Amino acid sequence: MKLSEYLKDRLAAYIIYGLTWAFVLIFMFAFHIRFQAVIIVSIVALLGAVSSEIWNFLRRKRYYDNLLNCLEELDKKYLLSEMSDAPDFLDGRILYETLQETNKSMCEHIAEYRCENADFREYIELWVHEIKLPVASLRLMCHNDGNSKYSEQLRRIDDYIENVLYYARSGSAEKDYIIKETSLKRIFTDTALKNRAELQERGIALRTENLDVNVMTDSKWLFYMLGQLMGNSMKYGADEIYVSAEEFADKIVLSFRDNGIGIPESDIPCIFEKSFTGENGRIHAKSTGMGLYIVKKLCDRLGHGISAKSVQGEFTEITVTFGKNDFNKVG
Amino acid sequence: MKKILIIEDDGALRGELCILLKNAGYDTVCITDFHSVPEQMKAISADLVLLDISLPNINGETLLHDFRKISDTPVIMLTSRTAEIDEVLSMSYGADDYIIKPYNPTILLLRISAVLKRSAKASTVQMYHNAEVNTCKGSLVRNDEEQILTKNEMIIFQLLLDRQGEIVTRDELITALWDNDEFVSDNALSVNISRLRAKLAELGFPDAIETRKKQGYVLK
Repeated sequence: MKLSEYLKDRLAAYIIYGLTWAFVLIFMFAFHIRFQAVIIVSIVALLGAVSSEIWNFLRRKRYYDNLLNCLEELDKKYLLSEMSDAPDFLDGRILYETLQETNKSMCEHIAEYRCENADFREYIELWVHEIKLPVASLRLMCHNDGNSKYSEQLRRIDDYIENVLYYARSGSAEKDYIIKETSLKRIFTDTALKNRAELQERGIALRTENLDVNVMTDSKWLFYMLGQLMGNSMKYGADEIYVSAEEFADKIVLSFRDNGIGIPESDIPCIFEKSFTGENGRIHAKSTGMGLYIVKKLCDRLGHGISAKSVQGEFTEITVTFGKNDFNKVG
Repeated sequence: MKKILIIEDDGALRGELCILLKNAGYDTVCITDFHSVPEQMKAISADLVLLDISLPNINGETLLHDFRKISDTPVIMLTSRTAEIDEVLSMSYGADDYIIKPYNPTILLLRISAVLKRSAKASTVQMYHNAEVNTCKGSLVRNDEEQILTKNEMIIFQLLLDRQGEIVTRDELITALWDNDEFVSDNALSVNISRLRAKLAELGFPDAIETRKKQGYVLK
């Protein structure tokens, strides 16, 4: 709070003071009060007015400066009302109470949405479990009847269902994953097995190196992420997928490389953004721009790093970095 | 014949699972009344139990936990739940494997036979006619004559031997190989089979592996 601003704000009051004092002076002259007495009364009145103004200014300045400071430092601005104390002047108190009241109402409002959101997510999880039953039945029916005509479509349905599930999971605020030691080799093998039919149909060769390491992650999430990466490789014309891991002192880096069509350099910074399809997406109609976005969000939640490198027409390489933390190790 | 107990509340899925297992040469028993599952589990002495997690009235994990106190019968959890916590819980309660729906039938059968094999107590030396199968060394021995098999050939031979006399499809063979991190192509499988044939012939088993057109292979 600046003094000039305060004075400007109080201008009307000062004009009223001035006019009142002018009247007082006129009266005092009219009653022929002695000149010295008029001077003394004027000085006393002025000193009184000035000191009351200074006191008024200072206590406001102290409170509001503190408030603004808090606001500046907070990264969650809505917590302001929790951080400030009630002031000792009336208008400040009114403001303070109003803030408290609106904040409380907003918290309730948010809690309501959070609840609804959690309910919805819970329902999605439940729904996914339910829908998987008929899909599983159909899978078995196809197999038992020796009819593989529908399996490809069933696999697609299953993939889309997984997308919904992990999209819901990636956006959730709850901690619904478990970080434990997971064998990269096992998860990659499971991913390969799941996609075997398509990989073979497209004649894609798999090559792995040094995958015999354990990383700290949620195996189900990692399985989904590798599935997404493999899906992309298959979609974008790879005929070889090379997966390797490298261990450093503080991290393990998994690199997932294919020799597909690659990504234009200008698109690389955006590939993890929601709904970004880029140049490749426009050519390949099936892109939704969700796959890598979900993968990135899952990585963020698990605390893994993810980055992409590519040379168009040569290769695409996605690297996932797992932190090493003995704290989480079990046994 | 191995008896498999199926505890699954979805009728359609249960039916198909029964057919799948019967076709694969297993005897199956299903539980259809979910009021007294623990008692029924105890009464039916199965060689392996396929257990769903979400059952009416009772939770599969609790069921497993209690079942483990009275029995060592291998249990495979079959579930549509894909949260890590369910798997961790199931494994810590003593499940032998955890498979997520919708499962690939070939993989399911592979895992079932793997679990059954692991649980077969006395590990008897496997014989193929009068040749000894040495899985640790990866070799076949007959009358002091030894043939070393590669990892791939061993996996193929093992699968054929486990189901000697039956047709094993190419799909099953490739799945088994992939399950062991050997990501071979269709052509590579053919090459592996012909090498295996040659090695068996050298041991004095010519024409041991018979090709059934469009079906698979039979080990005689």
